[in-house]
Amino acid sequence: MAVMTYIDAITSALREEMARDERVFMIGEDIGAMGGVFKATKGLQEEFGSARVIDSPLAEGIIISSSIGAAMAGMRPVPEIQFADFIAPAMDSIVEQAAKLRYRSAGTQTCPLTVRVCYGGGVGGGLYHSQTNTSWFIHTPGLIVVAPSSPYDAKGLLKAAIRNDDPVLFFEHKKLYRSVKEEVPAEDYTIPLMKAAVKRKGSDVTAISHGYMLQLTLQAAEKMHKEQGAEVEVIDLRTLAPLDKDTFLESVARTSRAVVVHEANRTLGIGAEISAIIAEEAFDCLDAPIARVTGPDIPAVPASPPLENFYMPSVERIVAALERTLEY
Amino acid sequence: MQKRPESQSKPQLKSTTPSNGSQPSSVPSRAQQERTYALPDYRQEVSEITVRQVRKGEEVRYEVSGDLHAPVPPLRDSKYLSQQQCIAIYRFMVMNRKMETALEHLYKQGKVVGGVYFGLGQEACSCASAYALAKDDWFAPMIRNQGSLLVRGFRARDTMMQYMAKAGSPTKGRDGTSHFGDLYERNMVAPISMLGDLIPVLSGVALGARLQGRDIAVMTYIGDGGQSTGVTYEGINFASVQNLGLVLFIESNMWAYSTPSEMQYRNKDLAERAIGYGIPGVIVDGTDACQVYDAAHEAVERAHRGEGPTLIEAKMMRMKGHAIHDGANYVPHALFEYWKKRDPIARMENYLLHTRKWLTLEENKALLEEVEREIEVEREIAVNSPMPQPESALGGVYCEEGCHTIRPKYGVPKVRKGTGAFRQTEAAVHLK
Ligand SMILES: Cc1ncc(C[n+]2csc(CCOP(=O)(O)OP(=O)(O)O)c2C)c(N)n1
Ligand SMILES: [Mg+2]
Repeated sequence: MAVMTYIDAITSALREEMARDERVFMIGEDIGAMGGVFKATKGLQEEFGSARVIDSPLAEGIIISSSIGAAMAGMRPVPEIQFADFIAPAMDSIVEQAAKLRYRSAGTQTCPLTVRVCYGGGVGGGLYHSQTNTSWFIHTPGLIVVAPSSPYDAKGLLKAAIRNDDPVLFFEHKKLYRSVKEEVPAEDYTIPLMKAAVKRKGSDVTAISHGYMLQLTLQAAEKMHKEQGAEVEVIDLRTLAPLDKDTFLESVARTSRAVVVHEANRTLGIGAEISAIIAEEAFDCLDAPIARVTGPDIPAVPASPPLENFYMPSVERIVAALERTLEY
Repeated sequence: MQKRPESQSKPQLKSTTPSNGSQPSSVPSRAQQERTYALPDYRQEVSEITVRQVRKGEEVRYEVSGDLHAPVPPLRDSKYLSQQQCIAIYRFMVMNRKMETALEHLYKQGKVVGGVYFGLGQEACSCASAYALAKDDWFAPMIRNQGSLLVRGFRARDTMMQYMAKAGSPTKGRDGTSHFGDLYERNMVAPISMLGDLIPVLSGVALGARLQGRDIAVMTYIGDGGQSTGVTYEGINFASVQNLGLVLFIESNMWAYSTPSEMQYRNKDLAERAIGYGIPGVIVDGTDACQVYDAAHEAVERAHRGEGPTLIEAKMMRMKGHAIHDGANYVPHALFEYWKKRDPIARMENYLLHTRKWLTLEENKALLEEVEREIEVEREIAVNSPMPQPESALGGVYCEEGCHTIRPKYGVPKVRKGTGAFRQTEAAVHLK
């Protein structure tokens, strides 16, 4: 066991998977000699060579399309998208090629790639370096969308993603890279995809989140416990699509109250789907309306600190939503 | 230094097609079009400094080839610029640099949101290019072209307030850096981070103006990295087939973040790409304001005549890291030294003071001091302006009370109205 940051956990998952499986390779902008702009791939080109850690031309389209092709040829590409904001040129191939290949071959063909995407706000990145566009991919059946909230999960989920035979979008929150640390086992382990986790036990209200927001939700739960004696159960979705609904439905059946927290803007964010599922399948259990704490429906996260803070869900806003739900 | 053969040292831009108004059908057929295989090269030296990444085991090295000790050539006399114009461009370049120095200080004082980007070593490319535009022309700067903004009449405070994300900034704190625009007064399309995306949009601006009966020039820039994107192809190709007045500067500054340009393309010169598009391509020394201006001026004139796009490759060096946080340790030191001797401002200053004697030492001193004072005034205003109110994050997403009206810029579209005799044909059957 070693205490690791989120980004170190990612680097070690990549290193171990490259060592374990010679089919795994990486391609992206500035990932080789520089080790990536956040240093997630630091040292990997030195260790595995420039044939397996490829500095691509500046073009997200080719980064993903070439990965899809290489996956069809039997490799296990792990392309990196420097900022989620720049993924749009690759949308065509992600949505039309990767997501549909299995379906249109009636289950007989696939392209196992793991697209690592750096996303999220809270770092003053402005409109074009802060976006959370997870919903684009959640809305595309055929893709697996993963968004870990902690170093332990990041490592285990990334390894599982690389070993999975379907295309995975792996969202790494840039604010988490160096802000959270935890014990991460030295030995090989994976965490199953498409399975949520209960990160804090509680009986009064269920809070459902993922990524950086999960950390804020845990802080809010601790605050509620300390200041009001309220016990919040915190569920980490970990995989956003396909969604593990059993874990949160089981929890809501016990607590009768649900709050969903996410950074993506509200309309058709994952919270909308979760709310609909709870309303459809656990309506009788509810003692309060489902609450959502989300980014507002504005086109992107603004740069100026007062504006960015207004955009980002905060511990205070989460606490307020939990209180409202409990007092209903 | 290798001297160019005489036949190539007198650059000329040949126009390929005559102006043809708004009817693409009147564009001459391929066979009539002149080939554009000759690449005019305005440089006074062909330094051919190249960088190659070599990895030996655990170590990455960058091999620099070319004569790093070649003497610095004189500036090329402009065919078009007057004494006043040369001094004006020089002043903008000085202001460009002093503004960025001020931004660096603001960053160090913790006043900047996000990072600071510099155009150090690229001021000639930014300022002399934009200086060639006419009032009705359009432009869209990239992150290294903060000098172009000054040339087109923006104040230093606009860019400074953007960097500090102030309420009074052109985007009211919504975006940082020089990501702002002005569709109404200064004909500037706001840049976005997505590299390459401006090129097809500017082609569209030229299309819009053409439909309103005007052939205008639309100038933008792209890096040696950014030109790898697919939209770059689409944007230039569209301008080519429609004869739109795109003036595209490729800022060949040897690096795209940490990636050397040999990992972006395999042509000797990016200007060669013009051949593939069937348009003129020109090479200039991006540290020589006179060359940059002349090439830009000729391209702009071509655009005004409705003859279509021009691709200009400006060779230079990004003299700092990608942004302020990047120490650029991966760049071989010798490269910086080579290009430091080719500093665009020092070269222009020397040209004005000593070669041309268009500026006396005293006048130069006065000019520098005046710019310094102006930047200081701008800085004060920017620093002392307030931050935005949190709730102002909302709004401005859709049309609201008091929205502006959008009018055709150049008059009523000059288009065929139709005869009203629309011929009904059988509905498409391919989906039945
Ligand atoms: C489509 C896209 N992908 C990635 C980035 C991130 N990024 C910003 S600048 C840059 C390097 C740009 O290099 P170049 O185009 O040569 O311009 P220079 O910085 O040298 O002026 C990268 C990778 C981006 N802005 N847009
Ligand atoms: Mg570059």
